[in-house]
Amino acid sequence: MTKTIFLIAICILATQCSTQKKVEYNIPPDVGEPNRSLLVQRFEKGKILYKIHCSDCHGIYTKGKDSVPNFTKQQIDNYTAIALADPVNHTVIKKISSEQLDYILTFLRLKKKGT
Amino acid sequence: MRTLIPAKELKKISVITILIISSVCFSFSFKNNNAYKNLYLNRFDDLNRELTLLASEIRSSDLSEKEVENLKQQIETARLKLKGVDFWLRYLEPTQYKKINGPLPVEWETEVFEKFEKPYKRNGAGLTLAELYLKEKVKNKDSLLHLVQSSIDASRAYLADSITGRLSEYGTFFLANRLFLLNLSAIYTTGFECPDTNNIIPELRSMLISVKDIYSNYDKSFPSTSLSKEYVDLYNKTISFVNNQPGDFAEFDHFTFIKDYVNPLFVMNQKFIKTYLVISKSFNDYTLNDSCSSIFDKSLYNAQNTKGIYSFIEDKNILQEIKQTGKLLFYDPILSGNNKRSCASCHKPAEYFTDTALQTALQFDGHQYLPRNTPSLIDATFNHLLMLDGKHISLQAQAKDVIENPKEMNSDEKEVIKKVLSCKEYKEIFKRFLKLTPEENEITLNHIVSAITFYYGDFSNFYSPFDDAMNNNKPLDETCKKGFNLFMSKAKCGTCHFVPHFNGVKPPYMGSEFEVLGVPADKDYKKISNDSGRYNINPATETFHAFRTGSIRNAQYTKPYMHNGIFNTLEEVIDFYDAGGGAGHKLDVTNQTLPVDPLKLTRTEKDELTAFIQSLNENIIFEIPPLQLPKSSDKNLNARKIGGEY
Repeated sequence: MTKTIFLIAICILATQCSTQKKVEYNIPPDVGEPNRSLLVQRFEKGKILYKIHCSDCHGIYTKGKDSVPNFTKQQIDNYTAIALADPVNHTVIKKISSEQLDYILTFLRLKKKGT
Repeated sequence: MRTLIPAKELKKISVITILIISSVCFSFSFKNNNAYKNLYLNRFDDLNRELTLLASEIRSSDLSEKEVENLKQQIETARLKLKGVDFWLRYLEPTQYKKINGPLPVEWETEVFEKFEKPYKRNGAGLTLAELYLKEKVKNKDSLLHLVQSSIDASRAYLADSITGRLSEYGTFFLANRLFLLNLSAIYTTGFECPDTNNIIPELRSMLISVKDIYSNYDKSFPSTSLSKEYVDLYNKTISFVNNQPGDFAEFDHFTFIKDYVNPLFVMNQKFIKTYLVISKSFNDYTLNDSCSSIFDKSLYNAQNTKGIYSFIEDKNILQEIKQTGKLLFYDPILSGNNKRSCASCHKPAEYFTDTALQTALQFDGHQYLPRNTPSLIDATFNHLLMLDGKHISLQAQAKDVIENPKEMNSDEKEVIKKVLSCKEYKEIFKRFLKLTPEENEITLNHIVSAITFYYGDFSNFYSPFDDAMNNNKPLDETCKKGFNLFMSKAKCGTCHFVPHFNGVKPPYMGSEFEVLGVPADKDYKKISNDSGRYNINPATETFHAFRTGSIRNAQYTKPYMHNGIFNTLEEVIDFYDAGGGAGHKLDVTNQTLPVDPLKLTRTEKDELTAFIQSLNENIIFEIPPLQLPKSSDKNLNARKIGGEY
């Protein structure tokens, strides 16, 4: 009997652990509070915005993966430069507010590769 | 392995084939581009030769009076060569241009795509500064040589492959041409970078002819995307118009030049950009709108996003709702700490969203005054940096600051949200708006201020009689035209208040400029106003007492004037400038950017200037205030007054 309870307890613990939210961002350790929380907030907003507004064109759809590719820093910088040079001809950037753009870039820059 | 042709032969054949293919490609690309690109390279050689000659003349000169005169001549010769490549220089590499012909020794810039960065310092050099240096009493040969040597060094950058390669793109031509036309309207006729006013029109004539050759060479090299006959004809007419005008920029008809020539050329160039599907890869085009059909159309450039957090919403009905909510909030004192002040307390909507009665705005305590005059919100949307010291980069950040500033509305995000949501009407609306901004978990101050900016931003889209004359050929009084011509020449207004908004944003409309005028603290000019201005945000020798240049649109109705509201009439303002600003009134303003020499305007000329300024009054349709504000569950809040108490 105790054995079963023990097993159930372990099972519950295991499921709890696996459903716990994985940390998806990579913020350098020297960033202290409250900046860290602010960055996390921006990161989360950027993630939502990316999935809604960007991933239709800039996304990967494979089983078991989310729609966000792992961009390199170079790719993000280059893209920022190109998109910003011609905002009027970009479907999304012509509408976006500078704050929202900042959220998306924060998300892409801080995103842990492979998550 | 067996082949029909021996391996040796095969090698030969393949080498020959490659040679043939590459030579065909080479000759094709060469033929395709040579006329246009060669003109560029030849003109650069010319410029370099003159600059080198100038440098060697400086080296061998003793800077005596006679030789200074010779050097001045040589500078002018080099300037004319520079005008031959100006068309490309400004567009292809604007940073280096400041070394070749910078208007100021030091400039602090915050450009639009770097809004989040700190302003950076750029040292100017080149011909304009060298010419000004020749006027100095004590001259040092090395300093002079340095200014010219910097030009020579900077001009080398334009021969880099990354830059010359762009000459083979037809799109770059039309985008550079757009900047050229905008500069024709805003800076080439005003003496912006030409210290000797006698040379302004001669230089303009020479540049127009140079660009004519650029056009014909371009057409030869790019026959499938050429300029139309209509364009070239009008351009030729522009040249003859300028040649038939007086050589003195004060006598030049700036109004007709822009209205009948530059603007129609701009309109045609915009059409080329559309029909030839030109796509920009340059920061120069960051704010410019390809669909805009006149320099004086308010869609020319985009400086502020009035929608803020609602940027992705496009449904007209919802936008209308956001606007109506913004209007309620604009008049609602619930946003202030004591529920007695609203946005409308200082930005009175019927008074062009400013306060014409007070010199500077009243503080939250109701007794003391803020150091600065309340600016009009109309046309604020055409600035990249907001506030007179350029503290804010977005309308939303500015609105938040006012709400949270203890001296202004003295509230905070938490309190504002709590009070606003205590009103059923607001709560229901914002709950719906929240669903439209999925990145947000809860209703924030950003939802509130974005509605406000979206509401008042619309009042910037009205036009003045001057715009109607430029855009729709409507008649304009002769006095106003004369006033505009003075504005662009003798009165030297146009070198800081740029066409078309007459604010401190010049083509390609990417940054806001700041100027040191020496505005006095009192009308007797006892001392300079002690407000350090831009220095508070970006401390530097050049920014001390500097303020962002405002627009002169609607100026007749937005008194009092200057950052501290010291002047009450347009006449007083014109007199201030006429006498050379603070330094002209014997105040100690070491870094004044306004010319100290008196303008010597006559009474009639001052009246004409005023008439022109009045022709910039926009025909704004103002709205009546809301009849009631949303009811709150907190009964104490329901006693609040529409628009606040003070």
